[in-house]
Amino acid sequence: MEEGKRLTCPVVARTQAAEGHVELILQSRALARAVPGQFAHILTPGVLRRPISFSRIESENDLIGLLFQVVGSGTRWLAERSIGNELDVLGPLGNGFPAPDPMKPWAAVGGGVGVPPLFAAVQKWSHLTGDRPEIIIGARTAGWVVMENDFKELGIEPIVTTDDGSKGQKGNVADPLSLWLDNHNEAQVYACGPIPMLQAVRRLSAGRATTYLALEQRMGCGIGACLACVVPTVGDFGLSYRRVCTDGPVFRGEEMMW
Amino acid sequence: MVTDLGIELPRGMKLSNPVIAASGTFGFGSEYARFVDIGALGGVSVKGVSPKPWLGNPPPRVWETPMGLLNSIGLQNPGVETFIEKDLPLLRSHPTKIIVNIIGHTVEEYRQVAERLTNQDGVHALEVNISCPNIKEGGMMFGQDPDQAFAVTRAVRDATDLPLLVKLSPNVTSPVIIAQAVEAAGADVISAINTVLGLAIDIGLRRPALGGMTGGLSGPAIKPLALRIVYEIAQQVKIPIIGMGGIQNAEDVVEFLMAGASAVMVGTITFQYPDRMNQIIRELPDVLQSCGFASLREVVGVALPQSQKSNVQRAGVI
Repeated sequence: MEEGKRLTCPVVARTQAAEGHVELILQSRALARAVPGQFAHILTPGVLRRPISFSRIESENDLIGLLFQVVGSGTRWLAERSIGNELDVLGPLGNGFPAPDPMKPWAAVGGGVGVPPLFAAVQKWSHLTGDRPEIIIGARTAGWVVMENDFKELGIEPIVTTDDGSKGQKGNVADPLSLWLDNHNEAQVYACGPIPMLQAVRRLSAGRATTYLALEQRMGCGIGACLACVVPTVGDFGLSYRRVCTDGPVFRGEEMMW
Repeated sequence: MVTDLGIELPRGMKLSNPVIAASGTFGFGSEYARFVDIGALGGVSVKGVSPKPWLGNPPPRVWETPMGLLNSIGLQNPGVETFIEKDLPLLRSHPTKIIVNIIGHTVEEYRQVAERLTNQDGVHALEVNISCPNIKEGGMMFGQDPDQAFAVTRAVRDATDLPLLVKLSPNVTSPVIIAQAVEAAGADVISAINTVLGLAIDIGLRRPALGGMTGGLSGPAIKPLALRIVYEIAQQVKIPIIGMGGIQNAEDVVEFLMAGASAVMVGTITFQYPDRMNQIIRELPDVLQSCGFASLREVVGVALPQSQKSNVQRAGVI
């Protein structure tokens, strides 16, 4: 996998992806070599950089996307960037998703701002598998659904769920995933989203599908030195805290100790 | 023009310049090799190492605050044997001074790890961490009581001939009393300060933001506090001080030197700007010159009260 570098990348496009959600498109040959699931660690005016995974990776024209929700001072500053501004980025960092097995049915399940790295994976690999991947995307409410149209432009109709029923099916992504797993054997499930959603994905998939989960955590250095961004995993001697930045962000479902 | 930034600390420990990577922010060094010229650093203080592996604290482990960083890592580390086998060989390929920060739950554990690291190729000094606020037993417990601080320092002193730094906590009424205790026990250098005990609340979750509940505050927010403590200690002990706390640039380094530090450690800023230490080292000569100094030696302790200046022989600056 590409070794991350410190880069200066211009913003070449900015879109309002949903209510309170912004996508910035950066131009960078180095970042455009990223694997879906990898991330950029972006300098903001605070004390820590902000890790954001790639929402799209277009190696043919050296473009990548960063789609985020405005939740605090760092993302607010990022959302205020405009075309021509440059960002100071470490990246691409971490271990992305493996390419899907072309012989097995594939589902991608995303919640909230967990959807973008799955879009990057589907954009890169959807032509590999015989059947189009099953896409299930969830959000709290209709205004927060992201990247639905991007999937449609790939010719894939995603199943949408919202907690409040304001769009698509009322409820969360677990119900449609459960239904899909009932009808597909030896499947592979890629997921990214809040921890309770990932726990449900892992539980539903146990014994039925291989799961790859892209995790998020409060992060320090981003390159494996500070041991801040850990998650509980199954180690040789019980609980072992492993780093999202360099051991992940993508882990296999059975590695997690939840 | 100041051309020589070299300093000499006790027991013949020569650094090419006074800027050292602070423990806990620089891993075991090699993680940063592709972003930082490690060989150009005065030294690297590696993450705390204990006799056996430590699990560390539950996440979240970091939380950003205004001009500060609150952390509760809990000294997760793979243990001294793995450090010697896997990490030390990578780090010692860089021409810098390697300081190993050591931790234990008991005085005996500090002694064990010190003994194990003595005579290891590439280990140039030990930094006894008696000030980590994020573990219940050991750590800061030893740094808050002068008798305990003395006992740990003396045990490590008896176990090694390596230059011995002792890293002090700001979370005490009088850091000077602890500094005097570790000096009396045979410490060669005082590192000051470790992080400041703090708390953040996640209002969405209605609970402390960090998995370890409280955490240690670092970054620019603590610089005045750190300077005050260095300034106080410098007036009461004779051994040199390595100052740290919120350093962001060469001017900050000069502040610590003027307050009585012979060298500095730089940490939190590295997360934002991995190569900032290299930049500080490049800019330091100009900043010293613009302040009217012809050598590093002239700067150390210059801001101390008049009566104390002669007392500051500090590290013999080369």
